[in-house]
Amino acid sequence: MSAATWQRRRAGLRESAGEFASYRSGLVGAVLLVLVVLLALAAPPLVPRESLAVTQVTADRNEVPSLAHLLGTDSSGRDVLGMLLWGARASLLVGFAATAMSMVIGTVVGMAAGHFTGLTQGALMRVIDFFLVVPSLVLAIVLSTVLASGLWTIVIAIGVTSWASTARVVRAQTLTIESRAYIERSRALGAGDAHILGRHVLPAVMPLVLANTTLAVGAAIIAESTLAFLGLGDPTTYSWGSMLKRALDTGAATAGFWWQVLPPGIAIVLVVLCFTLVGRALESVLNPVLRSHR
Amino acid sequence: MTIASNDAVTVAADDTPRGASLRRYVAVKAGGALISLAMVVVLGFFAFRVLPGDPVRTMTQGRQVTPEQLEGLRRQLGLDDPLLVQFWNYLRDLATGDLGQSYVYKNSSVAELIADRLLPTLLLTGTAAAISVVLGLWLGQRTAWRRGSWFDKVHTGLALTFWSVPTFWLGLLLLLVFGGGLGWFPTTGMTTAGAGYTGVEHVLDVAHHLVLPVITMVAVVYAQYLMVMRASVLEEMHSDYLTTARAKGLRDDLVRTRHAVPNALLPTVTLIFLTVGGLVGGAVTVESVFSWPGLGYLTYQALSEPDLPLLQGTFVVFSAIVILMNFVADLVYRVLDPRLRSA
Amino acid sequence: MSPSPALRRPSTARPRLVAAALAALLVVLTALVATGVQRPARAAESDSDAVLRIAYSSTVDTFNPFVSIYLTPTGVNRFVYENLVAYGTENEATEGLAESWDTSEDALTWTFTLGDDREWSDGEPVVADDVVFTYTSIMENPETLGANHGLTTNIESVTAVDEKTVEMTLIEPQAANPGFEIPIVPAHVWEDVDDPAAFPADSEVVGSGPFVIESYDETSGTLELVANETYWRGAPEIAGVRYVKYDNVDASVQGLRSGEVDIVGGLTPAQYDTLEADGSGEIATNAGTGRRYLALAINPGATTAGGEAFGDSNPALADPDLRTAILMAVDKEELVDRILGGYGTPGETEVPASYPDFTGFAEGVEPLEFDLDGANALLDEAGYERGPDGTRLDLEGNPLELRLMGDTENADHVQLAEFVGEWLGEIGIAVTPELIGGDAVGERSIAGNYDMYFTSWSLGPDPDFQLSINTCDARPETPGGADNLSESNWCSPEFDALYAEQRTELDPEARSELVRESFSAIYEARVNYPIWYADALEAYRSDRFEGFTLQPEGSGPILGQNGYWGVYGASEVEPGSGGSGAGDGVPGWLLPVGVGAVVLVVGGVLLGRRRSAGDDRE
Repeated sequence: MSAATWQRRRAGLRESAGEFASYRSGLVGAVLLVLVVLLALAAPPLVPRESLAVTQVTADRNEVPSLAHLLGTDSSGRDVLGMLLWGARASLLVGFAATAMSMVIGTVVGMAAGHFTGLTQGALMRVIDFFLVVPSLVLAIVLSTVLASGLWTIVIAIGVTSWASTARVVRAQTLTIESRAYIERSRALGAGDAHILGRHVLPAVMPLVLANTTLAVGAAIIAESTLAFLGLGDPTTYSWGSMLKRALDTGAATAGFWWQVLPPGIAIVLVVLCFTLVGRALESVLNPVLRSHR
Repeated sequence: MTIASNDAVTVAADDTPRGASLRRYVAVKAGGALISLAMVVVLGFFAFRVLPGDPVRTMTQGRQVTPEQLEGLRRQLGLDDPLLVQFWNYLRDLATGDLGQSYVYKNSSVAELIADRLLPTLLLTGTAAAISVVLGLWLGQRTAWRRGSWFDKVHTGLALTFWSVPTFWLGLLLLLVFGGGLGWFPTTGMTTAGAGYTGVEHVLDVAHHLVLPVITMVAVVYAQYLMVMRASVLEEMHSDYLTTARAKGLRDDLVRTRHAVPNALLPTVTLIFLTVGGLVGGAVTVESVFSWPGLGYLTYQALSEPDLPLLQGTFVVFSAIVILMNFVADLVYRVLDPRLRSA
Repeated sequence: MSPSPALRRPSTARPRLVAAALAALLVVLTALVATGVQRPARAAESDSDAVLRIAYSSTVDTFNPFVSIYLTPTGVNRFVYENLVAYGTENEATEGLAESWDTSEDALTWTFTLGDDREWSDGEPVVADDVVFTYTSIMENPETLGANHGLTTNIESVTAVDEKTVEMTLIEPQAANPGFEIPIVPAHVWEDVDDPAAFPADSEVVGSGPFVIESYDETSGTLELVANETYWRGAPEIAGVRYVKYDNVDASVQGLRSGEVDIVGGLTPAQYDTLEADGSGEIATNAGTGRRYLALAINPGATTAGGEAFGDSNPALADPDLRTAILMAVDKEELVDRILGGYGTPGETEVPASYPDFTGFAEGVEPLEFDLDGANALLDEAGYERGPDGTRLDLEGNPLELRLMGDTENADHVQLAEFVGEWLGEIGIAVTPELIGGDAVGERSIAGNYDMYFTSWSLGPDPDFQLSINTCDARPETPGGADNLSESNWCSPEFDALYAEQRTELDPEARSELVRESFSAIYEARVNYPIWYADALEAYRSDRFEGFTLQPEGSGPILGQNGYWGVYGASEVEPGSGGSGAGDGVPGWLLPVGVGAVVLVVGGVLLGRRRSAGDDRE
């Protein structure tokens, strides 16, 4: 595809009304996300941890929503809304931490696989290919069974299994960038690997990684809830996944305690959707190559 | 997995030399697939050996056991051999298609257990994949063509929302509403237990059981086909020949169905094979919710024991399926892409 | 490329083709829905030869009675193979294959007389050789056929005196009847089996119990049992039993509501309450007293049989005062109330309330009462001072931090850990919950690598085994060895003496008292503190079946008995007295959700169709 074609398409797209809609939904998503993050940060003062202590609560188990408990209480009599706020902290933490891990591995391996040649490249490519093809959920199951249970195990299980697609994208981008004349020039001037990767390649791949990041956070949050559902989560932490797991284990779904089953699920859907919308908008803005795909 | 069209893009960016012959291309790809498979085989063994827990004690938990029994079980399962001997036996057995003996299921080998579950999984994921692809591609080209319209907004919005739903949660809600609540669909398995249906009745019975799991799966995955198809059609719409065609006064839908859509299908078809891996992974949750007697459910059952040889077997088979699918994707891409083909 | 009229038609036809395909799909789906609505009604008609459908979720390893160790298949085999001596509806010893039995003066020889009317389901009489074959197979092949080997370790020999008389010689006297619990197989069938350990025994099985296995499909997990017409107590009233596999209990409750299964066990309190409040008149519930205790175990410091210490328990726990204070901070009543919703009994000793002969404390035992102040006072007195952050210091001056282990898959453990953690926090003990896989819990408890953990055991009517795993001999030969059978990694010569005494005490009343004293000794050692005996929560289609016999009668469970009474007693409700009720009992909150989803989807499709129609018109 020639550069001229790209430019024409870009121009064509810039005019399109649909693009503004995409940005707008991205903006809505961003605003909602900021709101959720603020609420999560404000959880400790808003809902003191002590008020969720099972031996201190005065409410009944499984109370229906009321003015005192807007989303009712859970199987231990704790306020579901309060749990939801605290759950946002864990779910977002897992989402961000797992994504950060995945992005760091993906970027480093991807850049290295694009930059180096020969045996190093071959080996790295095989590793990337391997992680691309192994079903990530199955591998995550294996990892979280092997490691001691806890929030960080989930982070690692998700992070380690999700970096390969980033690595592939970064590698492709690295190849494109390194073929440019100015890199050749700086190489001729004696610049080392570190210089080229750090000063030229990294800044160029960062936008792509950033857009990818936003999309990946959502996937990580879903992965956390799925692992929790499969019994591989950390039940001692309040996350949306463990809230759902608890509700299912105590039979809330059958008993009709919708306030225990729906809010965590809807919260996941909403936040993941927001990340997706923001990610897509970011991708359109930051990455001219991908913009044409939107 | 992200919803971006990155996969399709990176396939295009693959650095296989343009001039390479088809034979060399196939050989390189096949070699890569084999190396991945070898890594799966090795990882499959060692990952499960470092799992905590003594399988023999897990199996006999809560039972009146004597030390002789424990010793006997351990010997039967080959657990008293050194790790490397166990690894060698594992490789040797694997070469003959023997995936070992399940710790739990006494009457079937792992290979038999997996073989029994393969068909239900293929039926479920195959049906779900076919419907998602048709639905996704059709909606994708419609939304692209009518970009910015209400149709586009509703359908991309809906698709992205469903894509954000945890699969198990959606499955459970469907089960509650349409299984237990309304009683429209069965709540477990692939056939009605004890009904003994044959012929057409049997097919209808299976189809009846298939509805909810398939809907769950389709809802969560069709978005990615929709988004990629939409993006591809959008790209085609701005290409030279379409502009020309339209300038000549060709009708819109004619342009779409005759030119834009066929061309946009290329990257999308490749994506279908690449995403089959994700589908197979999704089978774990869907099958667990609906007790669908497939490979994913088997994995879940093995996990809750844990039955190490069985987990190991399902891991290897799952991975092998995905590796195969990716290999096919590479071949299909090569065959379909005119630029690579002519090279 | 010029537009030609000929091309126009096929081009517009393509989206129509897709639309037509979707419409066809819709028709098929509708048809399926229709058949689905009709199916339960038809099934109810054809079930005049009533088959009781039981939902189950646990694992089946094999139905081979020599090999099987999992709960579901061993439970099923109670229906298939009568034991020499059965447990009656009050958990008392009652006739099985043997109609009478006798013990010699020295209690070393037991003589069993088989009933003349005992027959195998293939019409052959049950003979002494069947019993001898079964027992000797187990005793001679402990490794391959030894699932029940633990029950035969005290048996010297089993011989056939005549066709209907069996004599058992024991190594040491024992109070427990050696005829219990071992499924007797037909020798005339099993003798011809080449490899008995690999025999699946899951199709057209020959048995002697009320039901025999007809077929088992391992892929779907469906098991078919048919009534044994030759059963000596009389053939069951129902035609058979079908086990239907469900992975989650939520789904099985939905299956019960829609009429796909007839009985579901293992309900959570929330599910039970909902089904109990079900106003359809089609579903009845039963909260049976359970035969399982759940306890908080504290590691006093594990040792080998030779006395060598192993494991990584906090050394401070060797102090009985500390263990007492910890247990005083556990409010059993509150836990039964808040976690079990009241469906359970607060625990005393390890023997659940359903065994009246052995449950409860021995005379003079002071039960611990929940008392945070008292626990604090006890700790203050024992010298555990509070550190700057409120956490107490052990006698060495280190912060008193304890790990609390539980099974992550067990919702009770997860909730218990929260309560216990908070209470211990109030008496100045910092708790780190460690909820891990059930297998890892087992592994670490054997290796002695825990401070505290939640454990539970199901008890049979005879307590001997449960006591035996608390003797000093149950400890492993080597540190953390897998031969560690010790329940609480605890050893007391006084307890061992009590254990030995009850084992040979043939007078039932005297033995009851000795057993109570033995279990009370464990209780007072503060190493295993039973929190509750949870009820078995069950629900069944009362419009289809009735007459389930409970064990114990009037208060026990239907499923999971020490016998076959529950299912054996079942009979079909008069046909026509109840519908099969698909479509009832929709939880009110689900309808808006379902309708909302349908509206969204249909709306989207309609919007698409309208648009595409408009498209064609342009």
